[in-house]
Amino acid sequence: MKLIRASKDKFLLHLGKREKHLLVEVLKLYPRIPPGHQPLSKSLSIPDREANQRLLDEALAEQRAECKKHLRAFLADPGRFEEDQTGCRLSLRKSEPEWLLQIFNDIRVGSWISLGSPEPPMEIKLLNAKTAPDFWAMEMAGHFQMQLLAAMEDR
Amino acid sequence: MSEITGSRAVLGSQRPGSGEAAQTPPGRARNSCALRAEDGSRSGNTSQIRSGWRGLLDKSLFLFYFAVMVETATPEMLPGIVQETEDESKSGLEPGFLVICWNDPVNYMEYVTHVFRTIFGWPRKKAEFHMLQVHEQGKSVLTRESLEKAEHYVHQLQKYSLHATMEQDA
Repeated sequence: MKLIRASKDKFLLHLGKREKHLLVEVLKLYPRIPPGHQPLSKSLSIPDREANQRLLDEALAEQRAECKKHLRAFLADPGRFEEDQTGCRLSLRKSEPEWLLQIFNDIRVGSWISLGSPEPPMEIKLLNAKTAPDFWAMEMAGHFQMQLLAAMEDR
Repeated sequence: MSEITGSRAVLGSQRPGSGEAAQTPPGRARNSCALRAEDGSRSGNTSQIRSGWRGLLDKSLFLFYFAVMVETATPEMLPGIVQETEDESKSGLEPGFLVICWNDPVNYMEYVTHVFRTIFGWPRKKAEFHMLQVHEQGKSVLTRESLEKAEHYVHQLQKYSLHATMEQDA
């Protein structure tokens, strides 16, 4: 994934053929973080803690539903991926790079949670046929996340 | 690390057009007002002094004496109202809530820096400082806010799947 051009309202990225296929496959995994996974607070001293936690869970669930809807439309849009000789050109609108970053990180963090939230030295010991898809999703989402971030920094 | 907003300003009314007056500390301004009150009571005594002592003093001494008195009586600053205004926001007095980001081995450092910059509008250096604090110390207090604002920031950070919580400031 490489930045071709960035203007005020548009982002144009280049992807190889295989890269595009991988990107689509990774994006299809969204969302991966289980609902209600993120606590509002670690302590019990927050006023109306339960009600506030419920509100946070609802807000995050609503945001994920919105992202999923947007993602479905994004993947179905034929104008998004414009084929060229070496791969394709992906065009993103103004706010979409931030949105895609959130999607990639949800997939990355959700896959890590699915693996049992391992610490780095333990991580590789968990690799087997059963956990391989989670490792793949975590690494691929991380790869695209960093590529997109680098392209945004280039801008 | 908590950030407390708001400041305490003390305003004094000084002689118009006096550049020095603007830098006069509040303590001095108060003393000047007190000085004026003292002068008011002295002026009654002055007329008694004048009638009783006039014959005893020769003219030059008399002029010298009153020249000194007049000079002393002139206040350095015109009296004014010393106002203490507290522009500390009310939330500064209410219990504060700390927005904390916790370390995890899954989020990339560059990504965390980017998220801090996006959500808080921080310059890169500040965002990197907090990111490194998370990485090295296990957590970083990002800001201290009212309940509603802290909830808002936690929601924003969790939208990016960062491990963020809010805790009541002791």
